[in-house]
Amino acid sequence: MNNKIALISIIIVAFVLRFFQLGSNPPALTWDEVAMGYNAYSLGIDGKDEHGNFLPFAYIESFGDFKPPVYTYLDIIPIKIFGLTPFAVRFPSAFLGVGTVFLTYFLTRRIFYNSNRKELYALSSALVLALSPWHVMLSRAAFEANAATFFLVVGIWAFIAAVSDRRWLLVLSAVSFAISLYTFNSSRITAPLLAILLAVIFYRQLFAMKKQVIVALFVGIVLTAPLVPFLLSDKASIRFQEVNIFTDLIPLERSNQEIVNDENAIWSKILHNRRLVYGFFFIEHYFDHFNPRFLFISGDINPKFSIREVGQLYLWDLPFFLVGAFVLFRKREGKWYIVPLWLLIGIIPAAIARETPHALRIESALPTFQILVGYGLVTVAFFLRSAVTKKSFRRVLLAFIFFALLGNIFYFQYHYWKHYPRRYAQDWQYGYKESIEYVNQVKDQYETIYVSEVLERAYIYYLFYLQVPPQEFRETVKLRRDIFGLIDVEGFDKYVFSRSVESEPVKDDALYINKPDRVPKNVRILKTFYMPDGTIKLVAYVY
Amino acid sequence: MFIKKNIKVFLLIFLIVLLAGVLRFWQLGIVPPSPNWDEAALGYNAYSLLQTGKDEYGKVFPIILQSFGDYKPALYSYIAIPSVFVFGLNTFAVRLPSAILGIITVFAVYFLVNELFRRRDIALISSFLLAISPWHIQFSRVAFEANLGLALNVFGVLFFLKGLKRPWFLVLSAISFGFSLHAYQSEKVFVPLFVLSLCVIYFSALAALQKKYLALAFTVGILVSFPLVFSLVTDSNTLGRAKGVSVFNEQSVEFSNNVIELEHNKETGDIIGQVLNNRRVFYANRIVENYLSHWDINWLLRGDIARHHAPEMGLIYIWEFPFILIGIYMLLFSKFNKRTKYFIFFWFLLAPIPASITTGVPHAVRTLNFLPTWQIFTALGLISAMGLVSSIPARGWSAFGGKYKALSIKYFKFLIIIFIFLLFIFNFLYYLNQYFVQQNYFASHDWQYGYKQAVEKTTELSSEYEKIVVANDGYFDQSYIFYLFFLKYPPEKYQREVKIDIANRSFEKYEFRPIDWEKDKELKNTLFVGMPKSFPQDTDALYEISFIDKKPAIKIVGTE
Repeated sequence: MNNKIALISIIIVAFVLRFFQLGSNPPALTWDEVAMGYNAYSLGIDGKDEHGNFLPFAYIESFGDFKPPVYTYLDIIPIKIFGLTPFAVRFPSAFLGVGTVFLTYFLTRRIFYNSNRKELYALSSALVLALSPWHVMLSRAAFEANAATFFLVVGIWAFIAAVSDRRWLLVLSAVSFAISLYTFNSSRITAPLLAILLAVIFYRQLFAMKKQVIVALFVGIVLTAPLVPFLLSDKASIRFQEVNIFTDLIPLERSNQEIVNDENAIWSKILHNRRLVYGFFFIEHYFDHFNPRFLFISGDINPKFSIREVGQLYLWDLPFFLVGAFVLFRKREGKWYIVPLWLLIGIIPAAIARETPHALRIESALPTFQILVGYGLVTVAFFLRSAVTKKSFRRVLLAFIFFALLGNIFYFQYHYWKHYPRRYAQDWQYGYKESIEYVNQVKDQYETIYVSEVLERAYIYYLFYLQVPPQEFRETVKLRRDIFGLIDVEGFDKYVFSRSVESEPVKDDALYINKPDRVPKNVRILKTFYMPDGTIKLVAYVY
Repeated sequence: MFIKKNIKVFLLIFLIVLLAGVLRFWQLGIVPPSPNWDEAALGYNAYSLLQTGKDEYGKVFPIILQSFGDYKPALYSYIAIPSVFVFGLNTFAVRLPSAILGIITVFAVYFLVNELFRRRDIALISSFLLAISPWHIQFSRVAFEANLGLALNVFGVLFFLKGLKRPWFLVLSAISFGFSLHAYQSEKVFVPLFVLSLCVIYFSALAALQKKYLALAFTVGILVSFPLVFSLVTDSNTLGRAKGVSVFNEQSVEFSNNVIELEHNKETGDIIGQVLNNRRVFYANRIVENYLSHWDINWLLRGDIARHHAPEMGLIYIWEFPFILIGIYMLLFSKFNKRTKYFIFFWFLLAPIPASITTGVPHAVRTLNFLPTWQIFTALGLISAMGLVSSIPARGWSAFGGKYKALSIKYFKFLIIIFIFLLFIFNFLYYLNQYFVQQNYFASHDWQYGYKQAVEKTTELSSEYEKIVVANDGYFDQSYIFYLFFLKYPPEKYQREVKIDIANRSFEKYEFRPIDWEKDKELKNTLFVGMPKSFPQDTDALYEISFIDKKPAIKIVGTE
C-alpha cells in the first residue's frame, strides 16, 4: 500500500516537472518540432504529409533530412484535441517521459527480482529518473529520442517479464523494439543490439517457450521489413555520411605521415594501420560520454539538452552513481548484468558520430544511469543504518544527503525557469511566432510577403502558426530540390522565402520581414520583434 | 628454498630497473628534440650557481628562482649542478638528474608496494608498470621539477612506513617530505595534506612509538621546510605564479557569462539568483569541475598538451584501462590491510587537488603525484584477472552440452592470456614508436626546437654585426634563456651586464625585444633573429631554420 502511494507520488512529481508550462518553456519550438507538428496536423486532416505523400511509413521528408515517422503519428491525436499548439506538439514526449518513469519502477523490480530490497531499488530509480535533469529536459520538447527510449524500455521490460513468467509479453517486446526502429535513428543500432543481447542472455528460457518466440519473431520481422528498403537507400545514408567519424580524413593523413617517418617499414604499416586508427578514434568518442564534466558538471554543450549549469546528472548523484556501480558488481542481485550491458550498448550509436558527447543520441542508455544512482542511494541508506548506530547522528547524515540532493534539484529548477528561457531563446529558434502573429493580422493588406530565410526554414513556421490548410499549401508551394535531392521551399500562397529580402523587388503592396542588420535605409519600419533578452530578432517594414 | 626465491626476486627487480634505465637513458637529450624554456632556465641557473653561487639575477644561494617571474622552486637546479659540472651545460646534463630520479623511483616503488601489501607479486608488477609507464617516462626524460617532487614523496612514504618499525626512519621521511616542498609548486598543497592523511591513517602505530623520535622527525621536518615558509611569508612575489594560474584569477567566457547573469539578477532584484550566481559559488563549482576533470578517461588515454605525452598516446596504455577498474574494485572489496586500502585511496584522491585550484586542467604535470597509484590498481587488476582466468577448471566448461570441444573454455583460457599479452606487446611497441620516432617530428614546435641552430648561426655571423636583436614575442617568449643556455654565456658576466626593461633584456651585443620591422629595418649593421611572421614575407633571410616537420620556425635577417 505504502509502495503504491510512493509510486503515485513519484508519477505526480514526474508529471508536474514535465507538463508544467510545457508550451512556453523551452521558450519556442525548434524547426524539427514545428515540422513534426505540422505534418501531424496534415496527416490528421487527409492522411497525407505536407508534401502529399499518403501515410508515409519509412520516413517523413522534411527539409534536409528524412525523419523517422513515429513521433509525427503520435502527435496526431494531441493536435486533434489541443489544436496546433506547442503544447500539443510536445505532448507525446512529455507523456511518454512520464510513462518511462512509471515503467522504470516495474523494470527495476524485474531486474532485481530476487532482492528483498527490490521495491526500494525500484522506487528510488523511478524517483531519480523523475527528477533527472537529463530526462526532464528531453521530455519537455518534441524529441524523437525520448519516445524511442520509452519504446526501448517497454521492449526490455516486456522481454524480461516474458522470460520470467508472462510469456506472451514477448510479442509486445518485439512490437515495441520494432516501433523504436521507426522512432529515432540511433535506435536502429541500439534496438537490434539490445534484442540480440537479451536473446543471448536468456537463450535457455527462450528454448522453453518456442511458440511465443516464433510468434514474436514473425511479428518483429513483419513490422521491420518495410523499413529495410529505405535503410539500404541513399536517402538513409546522407545523414550518416555527414556525421560519422569514419569519413574524417585527418587521422588517415596522420597515420600516413607516421609510416613515412618510419621509412615505410612493413611493421610500421601494421602499427599505424588505418583500421586501428579508426578503432581507437571510435573508442575515444565512446569514452567522451563518461567525461565527468558532461555527466556531472555542465552537461551537453547543446543548450537544448542541458541548461549548462547542471550536468546530465546532478553533481550529488556522483557518489551514489559510483557506489551503485561498484556494489552492483559486488552483490550481483537478480539480473544485475543487464544494467551495465545496456548502458554500454546505449552509447555505441553516439560514438560513431563526430559530435560527442551527445546527450540526445545516448538517451537509449537511459534509465540505466538513474538505476545505478537509485541503487546507490538505497545501498548507502542501508549502510548508514547498519554502520551508524547512533540514531540522531544517522538522522543528521540522512538529512544532509537529502538536503544536498534537494539543493541540486532546486538549483536546476531555478535556473531552468528563471534564466534558461531568456538566455537560450536563440537556441530554440525564438522569434518566429511573434512575427507570424503580426503577419497574420495584417496579411490581407498585402499582395506579397517577403520573409527572410537567413534564420532558416521559415516556411514551416508560417504553415504552423498560420494553420495553413495542407491542401492549400500543396497547391501553391514552389519547391526546389538541391543536388542531394533535399527539398527547399521557396514560397507558397503570397509568401516568398528569400535568403536576401533586401534585394527582392521593391513593391508598394509588399510586406518585408528581415533581420535588423539587413534592413535597407529608405524603408518604413512597422514593427520590431524582440528576443526575451531585449535584442532585436526581426523587423517588419514596407517601402 | 628461501634464498632461491629471493634470488629470483632480486633478478626480476634488477631486470625491471634495467628496463627503466634503458627507457630513460636511451637518446636522453635527443628525444624530446630540444629543451623547453623551463629546462633551459633550470639548466642555466644550475650553471650559474655552479660558477658564481648566484642565480641569473645575482641572488646568492636562492631557494626560489625568480626565472621568468614564475618563481620556480630551486631544488632541481641544485641537484643538476654535479651533472652540469661533469657533462657541461647541455640538454643531456640538465635532464640526467630527472632520469636518474625516475629509475630510483621505479626501484623505490617496489619496496613501497611490498611494504603496503606484503606481496611481492603486486610490488614487482607495480614497479614494472611504472618502469614502462608513458606518464612516468615522459617526465623522467625531461628536466621537470615535478618528477623530483614525486621521487621525494615516494621516498617520504617508504621511509614513513619503515619508520613505523624502525623509528629513526621517520627522520628520513621528514627530510624527504621537507625537500619535496622545495621541489615543485604542487607539493606545497599536496605534501601537507598527504602527510596529514598518513598521520591520521597510521595514528595508532605512530602513537605506539617512542615520543623522542616523533619529536625529532617533526623538528627536522620544520627545519627543512622553514626557509620556504619564511620566503613565502616575507616575499609576496613568490606567490606570483600561484596567483597567475589560479582559478580565482580566471578570465573565461563562463566567468563573464556569470557576471552578466549576476548583473541581471541585481537589476531584477532576484535575491536567490544573486546567491546562486555569486562569485564564490562559481569558484566552488569550478574547483569541483577541475578536480573531476582528472577522471576523464580520454585524458588518461589522450593526454593534455603535447609536451605532456607522446603523440597519439596518453598517460596510460589503453590495455591498462580495464585492469584499473578491476584493480579499484579489488582494492575496495578484497581482504587487504585496511590501512593500506585507506592510504592508497587517499593518495589517489589527494593527487589532483593542487591542480584543481588552477586553470588549464586536466594537467599531467601538476598531478604527477597520481603515480604510482594507477600502476598499483593495474597490478591488482592484472593479478586478479589472471587468477580468475586460471581458476577456470582444467577440463574446461564446454558450450552446448560438451559437443563442441573447440569452444571449450580450456582453449579459451589460453586464448585470453595470449590475447592480452599480444595487446600489451602491440601497445608497448606502438608507444615506443610514438615516443622515440614520432614525437620529435610532430611535437618539435611544442618543444621549442630550433634555438640550438639559431644560436650556432648567430655566433657564426656575430662578428660581422654590431648588434643582434632577438624577438621575444609569440613563441619566442623568453628567448634570452635559450641564448644563455646554448652560448654557455658566462654567468658572472651576464649578471654584471644584463639590463632588464620589464620583459625586454639586453647584454653584450644582444637585445631581446619584439621586432617591429617597419622601424627596425632602418637600423644599420644589425642581425635579427625572429619568427617568420616577425618579418614581411619577401624579406631575404640569411638563414632559415625549420621545425622537424619542415614547417618554418626561425628566420635570421641582417641589415647593412
